[in-house]
Amino acid sequence: MIFSPEEGECETGRGGAGVLAIMPVMYPEMGQTLIWHSLSLTQRARARRWAMASVLLLYTALAACDPGTKPGDRIELVLWKNQAGREEDAQTTAQIDQFNAKQSRWRIVPQFLPQGGYDQSIVAASLAGRMPCILAVDSPMVASYAWAGHIRPLDGYVATGTLAAVSPSAVGHYAGRIYAAGQFDAALAIFTRRSILAQMRMRIPTLDHPWSGEEFQTLLERLKASGIYRYPLDLGTRDDKASWWTYAFSPILQSFGGDLIDRRSMTSAQGALNGEAAQRFGNWFQALFAKGLVNRQEPDENAFVRGRAALVYTGDWAAPAYRTYAGADLLVLPPPDFGHGVVIGGGSWQWAISKACSHPEGAGAFIDFMLQDRQVAAMSDATGNVPVTEGGASASRDFGPRGNSRMFFDLMRRFARPRPATPAFSVVANAYTFAMRDIMDGKDVQDAFDDAVDDIDQTIADHHAYRTGGHP
Amino acid sequence: MNARRSRRFQPLLFGAPAMVGLALFVVLPFLMALVLTFTDQQLISPEPGVFVGLRNYERLLSIRALVQAPERNDVAGTPSFARVRSLTRHEPAYLGYRPLGELRFGEHRVTLLAKDPAFLTALGNTFLFALMVVPLQCTMALGLALLVNAGVKGQTIFRAIYFSPVVMSMVIVSVVWAFLFDKDLGLLNQALGTLSFGLVKPVDWLGNPATAMPAIVIMSAWQGAGFQMLILLAGLQGISQELYDAARIDGASMWQRFWYITLPGMRQTIIFVLIVTTIAALGLFTQVDVMTGGGPRGSTATVMFEAVRHGVREENIAYGATISVVYFLLITAFILLHQILLRRSAKVIS
Repeated sequence: MIFSPEEGECETGRGGAGVLAIMPVMYPEMGQTLIWHSLSLTQRARARRWAMASVLLLYTALAACDPGTKPGDRIELVLWKNQAGREEDAQTTAQIDQFNAKQSRWRIVPQFLPQGGYDQSIVAASLAGRMPCILAVDSPMVASYAWAGHIRPLDGYVATGTLAAVSPSAVGHYAGRIYAAGQFDAALAIFTRRSILAQMRMRIPTLDHPWSGEEFQTLLERLKASGIYRYPLDLGTRDDKASWWTYAFSPILQSFGGDLIDRRSMTSAQGALNGEAAQRFGNWFQALFAKGLVNRQEPDENAFVRGRAALVYTGDWAAPAYRTYAGADLLVLPPPDFGHGVVIGGGSWQWAISKACSHPEGAGAFIDFMLQDRQVAAMSDATGNVPVTEGGASASRDFGPRGNSRMFFDLMRRFARPRPATPAFSVVANAYTFAMRDIMDGKDVQDAFDDAVDDIDQTIADHHAYRTGGHP
Repeated sequence: MNARRSRRFQPLLFGAPAMVGLALFVVLPFLMALVLTFTDQQLISPEPGVFVGLRNYERLLSIRALVQAPERNDVAGTPSFARVRSLTRHEPAYLGYRPLGELRFGEHRVTLLAKDPAFLTALGNTFLFALMVVPLQCTMALGLALLVNAGVKGQTIFRAIYFSPVVMSMVIVSVVWAFLFDKDLGLLNQALGTLSFGLVKPVDWLGNPATAMPAIVIMSAWQGAGFQMLILLAGLQGISQELYDAARIDGASMWQRFWYITLPGMRQTIIFVLIVTTIAALGLFTQVDVMTGGGPRGSTATVMFEAVRHGVREENIAYGATISVVYFLLITAFILLHQILLRRSAKVIS
């Protein structure tokens, strides 16, 4: 039941049957079946309604690939993208229209899916054999999808030169091949005010001379001692999701010299996540909370703009609000170098071609188009996302050499490292997050990291190190 | 003849839609979950699950004890022990085990080990939650029902007010209460501080393992009590007014009327409310997921939270299913025991 674009339409009848066939499989994935019998009556009603809604939604999503009009002799390619806000969706649609107008062989038919159930939709579509041709994938999931056989390598379909221009952190690798490439990325930074640093008699760090760990600690202690700030630093620990904790705090672990996993073998976290460097990192992190330098849970996300915190560690997406608040006083700074260089997380949503796509060359042409400097620059200026090519940054208003967001491009270009490309990433992220949250709350650092390593290593061992997989 | 046959089929006919629904959405998925527990099925995987026997159950339920003699007494005389986690990661006999808790027997230290201490802790947390929330919530509900039934002016408005938290989304209620519980800026601590003239120091409600669960109990009872109130109210109104009138003529006090008329008259209703509340309490998930994420240090993690964490977030659906099946069996045993006890006590009374 592979969608064949030449026919120009989906067989909705079969699509419905497909959904019905996968429903029992989908059901446990929604986490409902397994907990059904222990839910209360109201919860059951709620869950049932929710499941119904998801199935209906899936049905419309899968059935909606009927493009309607017969488009002459063009070949239609269905594209799936996560809903990511009005600007980004509008800009993506505009660029798809440009691509459709520019050539006469392919016609991209975009569909935007809610980000909440995006993963499940992909899995369901794959089981039902109704995968779209082109899809956006969150970068940590690339390895998982590649291993599961949902997506195929880009080489041969996207020009080598185009891929080479893309910043390495925005390229999704697995098993030595490129499976996805992002049109934009994000960058983490420390935000503060010039006046605060002057008051604390601290120098302004630069890309070439970032703060050392000691300098950063001195600053935090001085801020605390000043009595102005109850908790000088906001680390965003209010968000307890594994995606944030991994994205935000594994780069700091790397800067200390540790890592989430041994990246040479990719089969064990032993030594990397519980070694001497990781212990130093864990002790430092624990002390931040014990000394009252960071609040374990800020009541809201506005600690910096309300003047409760002097420094905040977050990403480029917060810059517009902070500029409004601090104006020219705002400083965007590289995170400290804790001994092994400055590290920030790399990899946002990326474009990939499904294995089921019967015209990968068309999908490749589209992705190639999206990665050209002009498109990259237009996307970044429209959304504030960090461009991934030098040319794109130069052509951009905000990220050009004199643009006011240039710092984020430089940070990304110089310091971003992708999260480990392993199909076990969801376990890695969850184990790390639980360990870090326990450390924050005072658990023995070595015990916490040992637990995480055992979780990760057991999962990898259960899967025979992912040697057998769907990848070619 | 025809009429009799149709009468026999009518219940089946009318029941069929519900039965088919139940079979398709409850029984079948449960059986599938049962099958999953013997495999290593993942959510996203190119390979079908492989039969692994009882591995999931073994990883979930294995328990053993580790007895350690003190290694050496230093000058001060405090005994020191080898680090448990180092032992369990390297000694083949203890491989895969993690400490759950420890006891001292004279010089010796006994550490209880489990392969999944998080699950056992979560199980304890869940029952602790039920143990705290059921009496609190039901007493609150009974109090509210009596208040609303007392014949005060505007009781319909009060009924609506007390019931309103029930119709609010639990996620929203949780987010709002997380603000109320905030250590430095939360309303609750500010009120406590003001009322005690600063004697009560700010409590880190959700950040302290000792107070996190009680905080969730208070919030859950507040949110849910309105529902039980409605059921109890119906029970209250089912008691004949003549009984109260007769008691009043006999000179019974208000307390005696409550104890000898209201409570016995509501026996069945109260039992029903207790069961419904307990079942709801054992499914605790949303509040924990929104307010604490299972923390601090696992003190609010519940069985449902563990099932979703392993089954969905870590994509190990087989293990998540195992947690659910074990939990289902535990609850079934619990309900059966409850039924037996209830029947026995009913016999004693009659």
